[in-house]
Amino acid sequence: MTRTRREILGTGGGLAAFLSLFPLAAWASAVVDIRMQGSGDGSHVWFDPIGILIKPGQTVRWINLDSGNSHTTTAYNPANFHRPRRMPEAAKPWDSDYLLPSESFSVTFTEQGVYDYYCIPHEHAGMVGRIVVGEPQAHEWTELAGANGGLPEEALRAFPAVEDIMAKEIVRRHDYQQQGEP
Amino acid sequence: MKKLALALVATMASSVCAMAAADVAKSPPAAPYQQVSKLVKLPDFLPGMGQLFVDPATLPAGPFLAYDHDGKLVSTIYMLPIKDLNPDTRFDNLAAPGGNVDHVDVYYNAGHPGVDVPHAHVVLWHVPVADQARVAK
Repeated sequence: MTRTRREILGTGGGLAAFLSLFPLAAWASAVVDIRMQGSGDGSHVWFDPIGILIKPGQTVRWINLDSGNSHTTTAYNPANFHRPRRMPEAAKPWDSDYLLPSESFSVTFTEQGVYDYYCIPHEHAGMVGRIVVGEPQAHEWTELAGANGGLPEEALRAFPAVEDIMAKEIVRRHDYQQQGEP
Repeated sequence: MKKLALALVATMASSVCAMAAADVAKSPPAAPYQQVSKLVKLPDFLPGMGQLFVDPATLPAGPFLAYDHDGKLVSTIYMLPIKDLNPDTRFDNLAAPGGNVDHVDVYYNAGHPGVDVPHAHVVLWHVPVADQARVAK
């Protein structure tokens, strides 16, 4: 897995419009975008999509499209603030640090497995996400789901099920909430 | 005589409040207030709130002083963690240096650097509702 430096995007609004032109199903390309978003009054914050299936070697780019807040993408790993490991042991953890509006951060995933991550200031508000790389073995995410130490209930409830990600490839936040799944 | 003393105290208190309000009416307010975007990584101007200043010693509750694009004070904001709104925690004697209050908003916020847990924003607006547009974006 390789991590890349943060990037400043010139036009956040233009980027949002650009992204909306492309159907999510078309994200079979090398780079997959995950938007960091929030409501105008800061009452809601989220990653979109919240769950994705990618191939080994693909890059994920997180982009802060929230004009009124900073966000992070931070892997659950003891290297990051002694958080429980919820990612493959062989993979390197990442932490973007705070991204201001229009900034982005990229990670290339090479190790097959399930990766859970969160936004530092918004974990307690359930701003988490899950990435499935390749075709992980069932026992891998069963063990991962057991690593709940210290995670707030709001975060645990927000993770989309690995099976759903495997079946749909992309799980949007709102789609998932409508299912009422934990 | 007693009435006179009370009137004097009230007048002095009013003068102190007016002086305090004058001290913070324009950006930047005097120390110990500091610009929030220089304390934590947040946009300098927050849509819906404005440019924020706070005395770091008062975190997380504040008061946060919010200014419009012209550096004029528009609101005083308190940020109260939801987990601290319980029978064992109180927020007493919070400073209120902003002067006259036109109206108050209270709403939930999911968190941000500086107050990174869900909390309530209690906003004392020093301007009419129509003037909130000055900090809308």
